[in-house]
Amino acid sequence: MKLSTPHLLGIKDLTREDISLILSTAQQFKEVLQRPVKKVPSLRDVTIVNLFFENSTRTRSSFELAERRLSADVLNFTAGASSVAKGETLLDTVNNILSMKVDMVVMRHSASGAPHFLAKHIPAAIVNAGDGINEHPTQALLDAFSMQEKTGKLEGLKVAIIGDVMHSRVALSNIYLLTKMGAEVTVAGPPTLIPKYMADALNVRVEYNVKKALQWCDVANVLRIQLERQSQPLFSSLREYSLAYGINRRLLESLNKEIVIMHPGPINRGVELDSDVADGPSSIILNQVENGVAVRMAALYLLANRQN
Amino acid sequence: MKILLRQAFIADPASSFNGTNQDILIDNGLVVNIEKAITTGIDHSVTIIEKEGLTVSPGWVDVFSHFCDPGLEYRETLESGAAAAAAGGYTQVFTLPNTQPVVSNKTQVQYIVQGSASLPVSIRPLGTVTRNAEGKELAEMYDMYNSGAVAFSDGIHPIQSPGLLLKALLYVKAFDGVVIQVPVDESISKYGLMHEGIVSTRMGLPGIPAIGEELLIQRDLELLKYTDSKLHFTGVSTAKGIELIKKAKAEGLQVSCSVTPYHLTFCDEDLQDYDTNLKVTPPLRLRSDMMALRAAVLEGVVDNIASHHLPQNWDHKTCEFEYAKSGMISLQTAYAAVQTAIPELTAAQVAALFGGNAARIFGVSTSTIEKGAAASFTLFQPKASFTFTQAANKSKSANSPYLGKELTGKVAGTIYKGQLHTL
Repeated sequence: MKLSTPHLLGIKDLTREDISLILSTAQQFKEVLQRPVKKVPSLRDVTIVNLFFENSTRTRSSFELAERRLSADVLNFTAGASSVAKGETLLDTVNNILSMKVDMVVMRHSASGAPHFLAKHIPAAIVNAGDGINEHPTQALLDAFSMQEKTGKLEGLKVAIIGDVMHSRVALSNIYLLTKMGAEVTVAGPPTLIPKYMADALNVRVEYNVKKALQWCDVANVLRIQLERQSQPLFSSLREYSLAYGINRRLLESLNKEIVIMHPGPINRGVELDSDVADGPSSIILNQVENGVAVRMAALYLLANRQN
Repeated sequence: MKILLRQAFIADPASSFNGTNQDILIDNGLVVNIEKAITTGIDHSVTIIEKEGLTVSPGWVDVFSHFCDPGLEYRETLESGAAAAAAGGYTQVFTLPNTQPVVSNKTQVQYIVQGSASLPVSIRPLGTVTRNAEGKELAEMYDMYNSGAVAFSDGIHPIQSPGLLLKALLYVKAFDGVVIQVPVDESISKYGLMHEGIVSTRMGLPGIPAIGEELLIQRDLELLKYTDSKLHFTGVSTAKGIELIKKAKAEGLQVSCSVTPYHLTFCDEDLQDYDTNLKVTPPLRLRSDMMALRAAVLEGVVDNIASHHLPQNWDHKTCEFEYAKSGMISLQTAYAAVQTAIPELTAAQVAALFGGNAARIFGVSTSTIEKGAAASFTLFQPKASFTFTQAANKSKSANSPYLGKELTGKVAGTIYKGQLHTL
């Protein structure tokens, strides 16, 4: 089986079959990662550039590890120390890298649609590692993988996405993926951090009361407050945010039910999530990180046009 | 130069030949004869224009174009802009003051007026309302008016302060001036990249809510009512914005409005591919807004089609959507885009929307299709089709979503200062 698309620009463009294929391939790679020798030769003829125009530690490390586990040659390119700081355009930067015979581009960029722009102009396969406030497809895939692993299903699963939905590419990718796979989604957070047309555009419920959302859901995916992406103040203070929307043990215990807690990281401890929840028994946050490598291996492997 | 227009349909409400097909003979810039069939005086020196569906109207007027000169000549110059305008059927163009330096004093106005003397269109500069379009204090509008500024606008930086606009509207009454506003409330639109709605939410792009435009129009109309002055909105993009203007007109306010060709052709759904050529200000709105604008054009609520011609060079458009600059070149395709979007538009409506109404609103003269009149005419063929190509593009920039598209409604040429400009 093959993916229906030559790039991984967003979950929006994937079919249900694509998503299932990536998740089942990831399962196989997860098994590989349990072996003493965690490496396979699948992409030994492939060169991949990790092009990060925004700071990232975990996503970049996860991609790099996935690439090395597949035996690909890896080139890391970070914007700060590069030609971008000298005013080079994105297209020039990428074309220069491609002249060195690079086959795939993994890109993170602060502008929504940047990988879509690149896909129109360059011949290499592109993996979106996060574009602006649009999508972060591999995060949604690893979240889905982790939810499925923990709960045994996606179909019919009730997932609450809580926090700064407006500035979160994780939220949008998760919503696309979960609704395509038959899960139900509620987004919850302050009204200024939830796009006005959310419910109509994406077939989700909107809830401004976090406790009600938690009471409803099986899984709560708690988002990071993206202070760096807010161009204007959208809530009064972190203190008030934490009081009204933060998730703590007392809140979870008041639910009289068990729910799974997820977070894409990095956590603002004490803001959106208290440490006793983040590190508590309901949390699968570190499983998400672990699964990230297997899921990214699957995506890269399938995009390199290797049949599964 | 002698020009004979064969069997041209006359679209000019001021002409006694309006609505009829006539032969029109022009000699040395003057209409010398109009008859059913001119047979005498046709020798080899006469250039004969004979085309299927040939229609003639008084020369068209564009009220909102960026010619980028001085300062941004890598995008457009007075020469290239004039060539694009002539190819788009215009004989007069109002240029925006958002150049470098900004057209904010007599000297800048005169540079443009004098620079257009030998060009195939008359370029009429818009002066700024506020000094350097900074939105802080009034510019020397009276002086600019006396030097040839045709109307006043801060262009792409519409006046945000109600107090300042109130003063500006009062100030221009001394010389019967008109203020032009693009309806954008920057406090609401500032961080947006496209119309806020279902499409922007799905694309992960920050939105520009329609309410920003509606509020600004509503507010400016109140200021207009208070000052009893003259105000023109251009680039109106929302159904409600048009509705507000329609109501104000019915109340007798001296308000008029323009829409762009592209707001009649495209809507937010067309942006799904992050096409930077469709990044414009005000943004492309909903399909329902587009349809409401088309209806308002047919109904006559919209007075004018304004090209909002805004050249941008290649690298300002071939980049990430967020970083791409706003606007598109539009002069050469304005008529075709509108006639294609609204096929039922009559020649009389075209003449009004592309020239007649603007001449009335801004008090500029146009010619009349009568014997003895100076010939400044636009020739067009409503039913002819063509494909807009880069080879035919006269602008220095190529940021047009119409390139490669087949359009119906073709400009055949203009007659300006006795010269024929055909394509």
